[in-house]
Parts: sequence; structure tokens; C-alpha cells
Amino acid sequence: MVVPTATAPLPAGPLTVPEMDAITADEVAIYDRQIRLWGMEAQARMRNSKILLIGMRAIANEIAKNLALAGIGSLTVLDPEVVTEDDLASQFFIQEEHIGMNRAEAAAPSIRKLNPRVTIHTDTDSPSSKPPTFFSQFDITIATELDLDALISINTSCRQCSRPFYSAASYGLYGYIFADLISHTFVIERDKSNIETRLAPETQTRKVISCRTKKEGDKVVEFVTKEEKYSSLADTVNCPIDPTWRPRKRRTVPAALPCIKALWEFIRTSPTHNYPTFSRTDLATFTRLATEAVANLDLPADMLKASFISTFVEGCTSELVPVAAILGGVLAQDVINVLGKREQPLQNFLVFDGEVNAGPVLSLHPEGIAKEENGNGNRAKNGEIETSTAEVVSLD
Amino acid sequence: MEEKQQTKPNPRDVGPRKALGSLHQRIKEARVLMVGAGGIGCELLKNLVLTGFGEIHIVDLDTIDLSNLNRQFLFGMQHIKKSKAMVAKETAGKFNPNVKLHAHHANIKDAEFNIKWYKGFNLVFNALDNLDARRHVNKMCLAADVPLVESGTTGFNGQVQVIKKGVTECYDCTPKPVPKSFPVCTIRSTPSQPIHCIVWAKSYLFTEIFGTSEDDSPEFDHTKDAENAQEIEALRRESQELKKIREQIGTDSFARSIFEKVFTRDIQRLCGMEDMWKRRKAPTALDYDTVETAAKGIPGHTANMDQKIWSLEENFVVFVDSLQRLSKRVQELHAEDGDKSILSFDKDDVDTLDFVAAAANLRSHVFGIELKSKFDIKQMAGNIIPAIATTNAITAGVCVLQAFKVLRQDLSSAQMVFLSRSSERVFSTEKLSAPNLSCDVCGVARATVEVDLSRATLDDLIEGYLKKGLGYGDEISILTDQLLYDPDFDDNVGNEFTSMGVEEGTFITVMDDNEEEGENGEILQPRVNLVLAVVNKEIEEDQDPIVPPEEGMVIPRKVKQVEAAPAPQEAHGAAAGAGMKRMHEDMADSNCGAKKRKLDDATAELSIKDGRRGKGKMEVVEVDDSGVIEID
Ligand SMILES: [Zn+2]
Repeated sequence: MVVPTATAPLPAGPLTVPEMDAITADEVAIYDRQIRLWGMEAQARMRNSKILLIGMRAIANEIAKNLALAGIGSLTVLDPEVVTEDDLASQFFIQEEHIGMNRAEAAAPSIRKLNPRVTIHTDTDSPSSKPPTFFSQFDITIATELDLDALISINTSCRQCSRPFYSAASYGLYGYIFADLISHTFVIERDKSNIETRLAPETQTRKVISCRTKKEGDKVVEFVTKEEKYSSLADTVNCPIDPTWRPRKRRTVPAALPCIKALWEFIRTSPTHNYPTFSRTDLATFTRLATEAVANLDLPADMLKASFISTFVEGCTSELVPVAAILGGVLAQDVINVLGKREQPLQNFLVFDGEVNAGPVLSLHPEGIAKEENGNGNRAKNGEIETSTAEVVSLD
Repeated sequence: MEEKQQTKPNPRDVGPRKALGSLHQRIKEARVLMVGAGGIGCELLKNLVLTGFGEIHIVDLDTIDLSNLNRQFLFGMQHIKKSKAMVAKETAGKFNPNVKLHAHHANIKDAEFNIKWYKGFNLVFNALDNLDARRHVNKMCLAADVPLVESGTTGFNGQVQVIKKGVTECYDCTPKPVPKSFPVCTIRSTPSQPIHCIVWAKSYLFTEIFGTSEDDSPEFDHTKDAENAQEIEALRRESQELKKIREQIGTDSFARSIFEKVFTRDIQRLCGMEDMWKRRKAPTALDYDTVETAAKGIPGHTANMDQKIWSLEENFVVFVDSLQRLSKRVQELHAEDGDKSILSFDKDDVDTLDFVAAAANLRSHVFGIELKSKFDIKQMAGNIIPAIATTNAITAGVCVLQAFKVLRQDLSSAQMVFLSRSSERVFSTEKLSAPNLSCDVCGVARATVEVDLSRATLDDLIEGYLKKGLGYGDEISILTDQLLYDPDFDDNVGNEFTSMGVEEGTFITVMDDNEEEGENGEILQPRVNLVLAVVNKEIEEDQDPIVPPEEGMVIPRKVKQVEAAPAPQEAHGAAAGAGMKRMHEDMADSNCGAKKRKLDDATAELSIKDGRRGKGKMEVVEVDDSGVIEID
């Protein structure tokens, strides 16, 4: 990565990026409103980044748009498929005349137009044909709308070359985002509070590794460097919900989560590797898989309603643009934050339910991650109330 | 109604129909209005067009600017200075040829967009960036009884709210923050922060030299003037002296005269007020010749380095240089129009920004306050709010999901949605609150009144419509944006409406002050305010020039205030049923409403970089109850 290593000194106002990489006056004018949010250094880091985006459908349209507008260095769009009539319903980079063209190549000119400063590459190979080394060229790989085996294979390749990986898909009103950043260090900038920031674990995956303060006029600003540890998709996919969660909290998990897992399993095990149809046999198989998923996740058995299953299955092949806009927006913002090494990143599985507008982020990890990484994994498990996840009313 | 004749459904309909069922047909038949084609608007229009909303009207007065292009993706370089509404229609129209799009490059407050026009829509979306237009559309949607999806974003924060007359809170049910103002003495005599010096440079110095007049700016708070009468009087004299110097514009000594007035003599006078500096650090006056000598050799293009914090001498050079540029412009304008033209501060007008930045920093130097870069001063002087594509995209997605509930006529499941910055969820939601009974905007009765404007008088309204038609007593006040009538002011009674500026679309408010006795001797509270929307109608000469109210129309009475209630705000929050506390945001000109979310501890502050904290920290409130804190 071009981005400085995790242990590099913190951004401290003046630019630490080499002079030749500094942001030009033209770029400041165009990116003015966002530089005011994340600062010049994050913008410079973004400008030097290379991103791979796999699968050009509704969510990928949104991700490509958001990343191109933000001003990343280059975007490689990879998709072996051709544009069909169905694609027109949920994509804005293509029109009727593109039907029959390769999906990545059809979209590329429109993405280029959004921001001529960003280099757009296309790749029409199948993602499964790519060797692990292929992914080492990119700072981040984002795989959309792929089946579980393909996702795990790409995630494994990315891990081999220490590259962050995201995946996402939408299924009608529902969808998910998964993140495996392996190990990610980031900075939180905040006003210093009366309570001392301790260099200690905050959750089973996150710890504070350093803290620096700076006086700004009347107040003291604190730059807290934190580290998050991640698990691979293969390790996550069979994990139960955090065992410390009490029954009431378990009930807040959307039923879409076991349905998404059931869908992955359905496609993996069906002879044609297809989505379920609305047929009686498919519904029965799907219901069985969803019930198993509920049990594996250690969720209450009665949370899965037959009516929900049929709604989910009926809509699971459609892409709704507002749902794609939400998932693509959240994913792209996370990528931008990760490139800029700012803000808390997604840890590690977001489930979206567009019916009730819920988007909980579940931290799914195999048991023992806390022990391995932090050496005091018992803290969260023994505590009556896990204070690090409690939200406190701020009245100042 | 089903498209039986079609053998194959439109491929654009297949996906949405599977996921949305019968709702999809309503979407295709919906006629919606989108007000604002900026950050949220571009994203929202894309969503609406691709989701297949049947007919979409876009209203926006703005033209496209370079700084829009990082997020308003329907626009490109080639569109700069063109109408946002027109270009948005042209670009988004290609996303789906089945949707009818209409663009209006106009102000939403124009008379053509009247209540009748609003009534033609199933749904209105606000994608606006200012309070005034939001309030206007809110009022119009209440008057026309059309549901409104209101949205706003600031940086990483966003929120969406569904508003429906009589069912939910309206936009004005919770008080909105007023733009921040500062006591005159803080700005003119005892600044202690960079913003005080920036306001001084922009709203005092700049306007005194190039604009109209002193301290009528909304940024000045005059409530403490009386306590400081002596100092206020001295400041008035200072302004008078500055006005005299203004006459020297264009002479070689102009910059020196201004400089020595505001950075030398005025400061020396302040230093003489010893009481003022007992508990503060006294300022240090500057000497023109000393600074000028030290500044020799500094190039004029220093002003282009907008990220750098300029030294005292660099600020001096920019001050003199920008003053010359502005003086030249004023003289050229005056040569054309005989000394009438004035200049006003505009953050995008580089001459005015350079002047304000340099003057603010020189003053900061005098008072020992931290200097700021031009980039930062631009944000503070221009009230720039950070804006990014992703927040707008997510928020616009939520707007459409909420619109689905409105179209399903399932308002009980519609929500107030906030983008959350917690590590545990990306959204926080609340149930929609019931209307605030004491809201000035929706806690009123509304009616349309048909008036023959060619002959109707105020008396026709009072005696005919109100007293005879609705049973009002004598104790009433009637107003538009001015007072038309009250028991002590009856000059207008015989006048025709048109002579009082009442026309088609005017809102007339009737306030009832009568406490009367009911049939059983009980005390009746006064009626709630009645807002009448005027519709012009030609009426036969032999009939009253105002159509009487409908049979059976009753204006509800106010609810008696319980005097013991200590905290109405809290009580209202509790009534909303979400068990939440409410706070008001301390942010001027925010896009968002009055509430912000409690953030996760990891991201507890708005992480705007160094000096880009805008108007200070966002205030946040916890409102979520999704089982995070469990107490057994
Ligand atoms: Zn209201």
C-alpha cells in the first residue's frame, strides 16, 4: 500500500505526504466540501489508492460512483458477464444500447465521466480465474453479488497478500456487507474528556494502542489510535452471535441474517447453483436451511416466520435501487475511511433490513479471537454488563 | 387494470414487482415533487427514476458550481453555471425512459407553486439546504394535505422524517436552531476567538468600507447594549470616523488610513479602558510603518496559499493588496452608476474573501488570538457545511424506503431515521411523534377561503365569514405578514383586500382571544389559530364576495395549558412515546433538524479536522432503545 504503515506518526495538521503527491489547488476546489470533513491528508491518501470492484450490478454502480466522486487513484472494474435487459432496471451507467456488451466495459465510460481524475480499468476475466497474486496490486478488493465459494476464495487470496476485503449483496429489501480488514489501525479525533483514555482493549477485537493530545485554542483535542482485528469469511460464516448477548438483544437481530446464510447455502448445494424459485420444494428446502442457520447462530428459534421466509425468497433476486444506494453508500464510506485511516471501520457483518430500516453491525468471530489477540478475553465474557458496548447519554 | 394486453412485462418492472408486490403499481402511478436538485436531490432523483415513480417534478433555483461536483453526480464540468433542475432532468431522464420528468428552474416560493399545484402530488420530497425553504414547503404540504418526506445531511450525519398533516409532527413542531449571534461588545471590543475576529472583518469592517451600514447584521446581538451604553456610544463614534475615511477610497493613502484607524487608534483607545483588561489580556496596537518595512519582499500572490497560516507580514500584504483590488472595483462601478454601488461579502468572491481573511487575522494578532488559514476562514465566514456523496446517497435511499410506507398508506410503520455513527448500527430509528399541539405551524386550523378579490373587504371577512359563519366574537386579530386588524386597530375594516396586499395564495391568520361561556356555563378556551389560504374567485354581484364556510365547519378550541408543567419540552418528548430526551443543536444553518444522535464512544465527536469544527461540537442525544443497555 502507498499508505504509511500502521505505526507511522499520526497526522498532525500539516501534510506528511511527499510534496509530489500533495493535493493541487484544482483538486482542493473540487473536493472542498469533503476535505473540510476528513482533511487534506486523508484526501491525499485516497488519491494514491487502487481499488478492485468485482461484479457490476446495482450495489457496484453505487460503490463505483461514490469512490470515483471521492477521488480515489484508480478503480478496476471486473465482470465477465454481459449486460442484459434486467440490468437496465437498477443501473445508471448503462442504457439500452449497451445490451450484449461486457458489463464492466459498458459501465466504464460513464464512470470515467463522473471524475476524469480517476483512472478506470476494466477486466473481463472470471474472478475465479485470478491467482492470489492478482489481488496484491490493489489496496482494497470489493466483491459484490457473488456466491459463497467465490467470496471465500477471493477473501483467502486477499489474506495471502495481506489486503483488505469487502463483500456485499442486496436481496430485494434486504442485504449485507462483510468486511475483513485483517488488522486495521485508525485514528479517532475527539475532544479530550475528563476520563483518561487507557491503552487497553475496548471490545474483543478493538484496542487502543496510542493516544496523543493537541491543544486547540481553549480545548484539548485527543488523537486516539486504535486497532481492530478481523476474521476471514470462512471463519465467520459458521459463527454464532456473541455468546455474551442476552436474549433481548438477540431478538434485535434481523431475520434477514439467517435467510442470507440460508440463501448462500442453498446456492452452494443446489445442483444448478441457482437462487431458489418460489416453488414448494425450493421453499421447503430454504426453510430447512434457514432454520438450521437460526440454530447455528444461536438465535431464538421462533424469530423466523414463514411469511418472512416467503417474502425474502420471492424478492431475493431483485435489486432495488434505494437498497443498493444505502449498502453501496455505507460500503464506499467505510472504504474511504479505511484509506484515510480515520473513523471506526465496520466490524464485521452489517445486515440490512429495508422494511424496518435496521442496519445492525454484528461482530462475528470464532471463539478465542479475544484471547489470542488481547490476552484478556475473559473481561467481556464475565462482566454483568459489557460497558464498552453501552451507549451513554451525552449532555454537554 | 392489469396489463392483460401485454404478453411480456417490461423488464424494468420485473424485479421491483417481485420485491414490492402491489406497491410497485402505486409507485408507477405516483406523481411526486422533489424540491431541490443538489446533494440529496441528485441521489434521490436517480433512485426515484430507477424505481419507476411515474411522474416527477423537480424544482430548484440554483445553478451548478464547481464545488458541487464532488457529490452531485448528475452534473459535470460542462454544466457549470447551468440550471440544476434542467440538467438533473436531462441526465436522470436517460436512466429510465418510462418516467415523466418536469424541471422547474424557479424558486419554490414563487406564486405559481400554489396550494392547488401541491394538491396534484401524491408525495413531496424535500431535498433542500436551507431552513427557510424547508419551512415553506412544510407549510404548503400541511395546507394542501400532501405527505412530505423531509431530509437533511451534514458531513457524516443524515436524517429523514415523514410528515403528514394531523398525524405526525411537522417540520416546525420542534424548535430549530437560530443562526448564532454575538454581543456587539464581544465583536467590537473584546474578541477572544478567531470567529469573533472573522465576524468583525466580514460584518463590520467590510460592510463599513464597501457595504451599506453598520451592525444591522443578524450576527450582532444587541440585547446587552443597554448594560454597556458607554462603550456602545464610543463604538458608534468609531464607526462614524471609519465612514469618513471611506470617502478617501482610491487615494494612495487609503490602506494606511484604514489600517491606522482600526489596528492602531481604535486599539489604543481600547487599551485605555483599563477596567476592560483587568481580567483579559489587553490588545497590542500595530504600527503601519513597522509592519510595512518587515513585509518588504513578500509577493502579492501570497493570497493563493490558502492552506498556510500567514504570518503578520503576509496578512499585511494580502490586506493592502485585496483592499486595492476591491477599491478599484468599487470605483469602476461608481463611475457607471454615480456612487450607488456597494459590494457585499461572498465566500466565493476571492477579493472579498482575501480581505476578510487578512483583516480577521490582523485583528487576531492584535488580540493575541490564534490565526487561521484562508481555507478555514472561508468555512467560518461562509457558513460552509461539509458535504459528501455517501451520506447523501444513503439518506436519499432512506427517503425512498420511507416513501414506500407513505404510498402503502402505512404511516404507523413510517419512521424518523438517523444515520448513526455507532459501531453497532448504521441507522437509529424512532417512531413518528404525534403533532405538537402548541406548534405555530401545524397546531392551527387550516382552510381555503374563496374570495372575490375585485370587491371583497376586510369587513366581509370579519362580519360574514368569521362572526356569522364560524361564530367568532369581537376579540380577534387578523394578520398576514402585517397586522390587518385587532380590536384596537380597525382602520382597514372598510378596505378592499387588494389594497392590503392580499392576493391569491396569501395566508391570512385569525387569532382568537375570546374566552366565552359555553351552553352549560363552562368556560370555553379561545379557538386555535385559523390560517386561511386565499383563492380568488369571481362571485355574482348579488352574493357575498366571500364564499361562507362549509356547513358544520368548527374551529377547535385551544387545550388549556397546565401551569404546573415544569418542562414542556420533556413532556412533549415523553408524549412521543420513545422515552427520549431532546436537545437543540447549536449549529447555525445546519441542514439537519434539531436533533443529533448519541454517537458510539469510539466516534463520540464530530471528527472534523483541525480547525474545521464549524460552529463547534455537535450536540447529540441518545434515542435508541434497541436493547443495548440491559439492566436485569
Ligand atoms: Zn408542527
